[in-house]
Amino acid sequence: MEPMTLSIILAISMLLMLAVGVWVSLALVGVAVLGLMLSGNEQIGLLFGTSSWGASTAWSLTALPMFIWMGEVLFRTRLSSDLFTGLAPWLGGLPGKLLHVNVLSCGIFAAVSGSSAATAATIGRMTLPELKAQGYSDRMAVGTLAGSGTLGLLIPPSIILIVYGVAAEVSIGRLFIAGALPGLMLVILFMGYTMVWALLHKDEVPWQSKAQVSLAAKLGALRKLLPIMGLIGFVLGSIYAGFTTPTEAAALGVFGALVLAGVTGSLTMDSFKESLLGAVKSSCMIGLILVGAHFLTLAMGFLGIPRALTEWIGTLDLSPFELLIYLTVLFVMLGCFLDGISVVVLTVAVVLPMVQQAGIDLLWFGIYIVLVVEMSQITPPVGFNLFVIQALTGKNILYVARAALPFFLMILVAIVLIYWFPEIVTYLPTTMTQR
Amino acid sequence: DTWHMPTPYGDANLPTKIAYQFADEIRDKTGGQIDITVHSGASLIKHPEIPRAVRTGQVQLGEVFIGVMGNTHPVFKHDNIPFLATSFEESQKLWEAAKPEIEKQLDKEGMKLLYTVPWPAQSLYTKFPVNTLADLEGTKMRAYSPSTSRLADLMNTSPTTVQVPEIPQAFSTGIIDAMITSPSTGANGQAWDYLTHYTDISAWIPKNIVVANKRAFRRLDKDTQEAILTAAANAEQKGWEGVRETARQDTETLAANGIVVSEPSDELMAELEKIGAIMVKEWEAEAPEEIGKILEQYRQ
Amino acid sequence: MSAVREKFYLTSGYLSGACIIAIMLLILGQIVGRFFGFIIPSAEDFAGYSLAASIFFGLAYTLHEGGHIRVTLAIQRLPPRWRRLQEFIVLVFGLALTGFMAWYSWFMVWESYVFEEVTHGYIAMPLWAPQVPLGLGTTALMLAVLDALVSVIKGDLPDYIGAEDEINLEEA
Ligand code: NA
Ligand code: NA
Repeated sequence: MEPMTLSIILAISMLLMLAVGVWVSLALVGVAVLGLMLSGNEQIGLLFGTSSWGASTAWSLTALPMFIWMGEVLFRTRLSSDLFTGLAPWLGGLPGKLLHVNVLSCGIFAAVSGSSAATAATIGRMTLPELKAQGYSDRMAVGTLAGSGTLGLLIPPSIILIVYGVAAEVSIGRLFIAGALPGLMLVILFMGYTMVWALLHKDEVPWQSKAQVSLAAKLGALRKLLPIMGLIGFVLGSIYAGFTTPTEAAALGVFGALVLAGVTGSLTMDSFKESLLGAVKSSCMIGLILVGAHFLTLAMGFLGIPRALTEWIGTLDLSPFELLIYLTVLFVMLGCFLDGISVVVLTVAVVLPMVQQAGIDLLWFGIYIVLVVEMSQITPPVGFNLFVIQALTGKNILYVARAALPFFLMILVAIVLIYWFPEIVTYLPTTMTQR
Repeated sequence: DTWHMPTPYGDANLPTKIAYQFADEIRDKTGGQIDITVHSGASLIKHPEIPRAVRTGQVQLGEVFIGVMGNTHPVFKHDNIPFLATSFEESQKLWEAAKPEIEKQLDKEGMKLLYTVPWPAQSLYTKFPVNTLADLEGTKMRAYSPSTSRLADLMNTSPTTVQVPEIPQAFSTGIIDAMITSPSTGANGQAWDYLTHYTDISAWIPKNIVVANKRAFRRLDKDTQEAILTAAANAEQKGWEGVRETARQDTETLAANGIVVSEPSDELMAELEKIGAIMVKEWEAEAPEEIGKILEQYRQ
Repeated sequence: MSAVREKFYLTSGYLSGACIIAIMLLILGQIVGRFFGFIIPSAEDFAGYSLAASIFFGLAYTLHEGGHIRVTLAIQRLPPRWRRLQEFIVLVFGLALTGFMAWYSWFMVWESYVFEEVTHGYIAMPLWAPQVPLGLGTTALMLAVLDALVSVIKGDLPDYIGAEDEINLEEA
């Protein structure tokens, strides 16, 4: 069967399954089985075994349940509301006020976590209930979280940069440093959009007294942030002091959160159990989706659909600029149905030679690819940040996706910006060579 | 028929380049009857799962780092024993000696050996010059297997496990101070970002092997089998030739980027060879019969 | 009967939780070990196996609690009769898929056992042992789907729908 016909059949059956209410994880497994059946594969069951064993035992994934559990623990302490009381006097003057807590905390937490879903889950667990309680627009609370959760991928450490670095043989250390400035730029873009939105929707941001908050009061409020800043500082510090690797740091984070909860007296046997079962619920949900996504990725590898599409782009004889536009469209389309890392894994062998031939710097391309993968985290039907937020709020994936759309566009703006000003990516790594 | 061939490493690596040429040659020789799709960089099947996928016929053939099968039978460790075979000539001789045992073990597992591709020799990377073993004493050396751990012990360093992608950060932050790996790994990972010295101790020469599912291979007619085996022999030859060039280029890349590349001192080599002798004995004790045969053949 | 079911789901949840704790302890052990200069052999491998176990053990609990994600936008608007039919179709399909998953997970365990496969990491152990949780977990998931299917056939809506319908933030 033609790759084109095949991909249309598979996309339609996926949408159909999702529409009638099949769970996302099972729909992924179902589409994979269907695809392999249509290609006449006779080892579908064995392949399922191989792929789910490989997907569920990956060392780098062990950080995910750790961070999710950390969020569950912190949510049950006073720390999450302290996060708001501590930041409120500082952000009160900014249009959008506490909505910026989502962006800023995700940006900071991204320096500890390598994954987008873990960032959204950990921060969202603390911020969403509080934002709702304070009367902020649901849609904007969800949107800022969905968007800024993706910072976990761009700000080092980052799982996707490791995957790309290994595949493209680009130094992972350089990629990590290259991600820092674009990450900062994305934080600014997200906060900028939030401010513009807040100025246009004054009625959807809770009213606060205009009275000037004194500096003393501001500094006093900062004290509330000490425990949580201490925790993040402790985890970051242990990475940079060489006690742990980034993957291991997650275990240190949850341990630290448990200690904090214990010291502040918010840890009872019941809250411990609740936090653990909460972590089970989220990490099993994500885990099974990852197993399904991995199986679908394997099926796609056998069917050769992503490869065929990419090879077709290769035959078009495009200028570097056109090539990037085509690749962006392709990646966004694939990213709707596959998880971002799979898109990279499946296409990199065909894409990299094309990119090199077009004279595009592989380091720059790594950051470009992360931005595109970030977009795929918030596009339906398969977008991990959407799943995480649906699990946190019960809001439908499509609702969350619509809320995240402006942030999707902001990432697109970021791609345009790094295209025009490649120095945003390449400046810091070049300073590294000259030492 | 379309055959699927998962390989563990990315396209820039010699073994993967050879895999593509191998596939092309077979496509030509069989008039497109056997059309092999190479899935590089573990994009289809993750590395540790590749032997099993080939054995059970999930894919028709695949490539694997021999050391990954080390727990299956000690003969699969023959190319991971330090200071047993340190030049490509010795390594080729060791391979000829080990091949019958390897083929026998693979056959038991339902796999047919097609060809091997060597990696450049594994040497010592550090953040300081190393003239004798005393310079390494008490440092933390990367270990990823029982034998690298044992080697670190015998070198009076503390073995420390770090996963491959985390190596740069581990060096920068001091989780590890030393590692033993090939010049290619260092050049591809831009090791000059995080370390300074490369001492060419050539501890061992590891290899990949490409294996086919036995049943899938047997089902082919004689001519097709012949075509595949000829292509395999060509691939193996390309490997032994290509690796010398790769090793030279990658070592040059290291030096060009400011890493101090040096030959080991006689004293260091004497110390290391003593350690090597101990480890060969320990390896032989794991399966005296098969390994004894390999060693006897190799030392002739 | 209902008490047995509750126990079944809670066991699934707590087994998964125990594996999450195991991951934390293994990694903490590794960090401490490195600090004092000893290796916990295969800590990464065992953390990986615990991860697999935690994912699969908890599947049934997660389904029961409405934790698995799906798109409910369209189906929520269906009239009750149609809604039951829709859940019935989804659950029959789900039973077939989870049955497939359970069967082949056990098949993988059996194959590893028969061929005496060993793990490839630092410590060589029989591969079937860490794979057993995949078989148990997918089987439990299948039973959970069957449980829901039975309640739909009896004329009720399955338990997970209650959890899904809490549209608002849990603690608000
Ligand atoms: Na990050
Ligand atoms: Na998506």
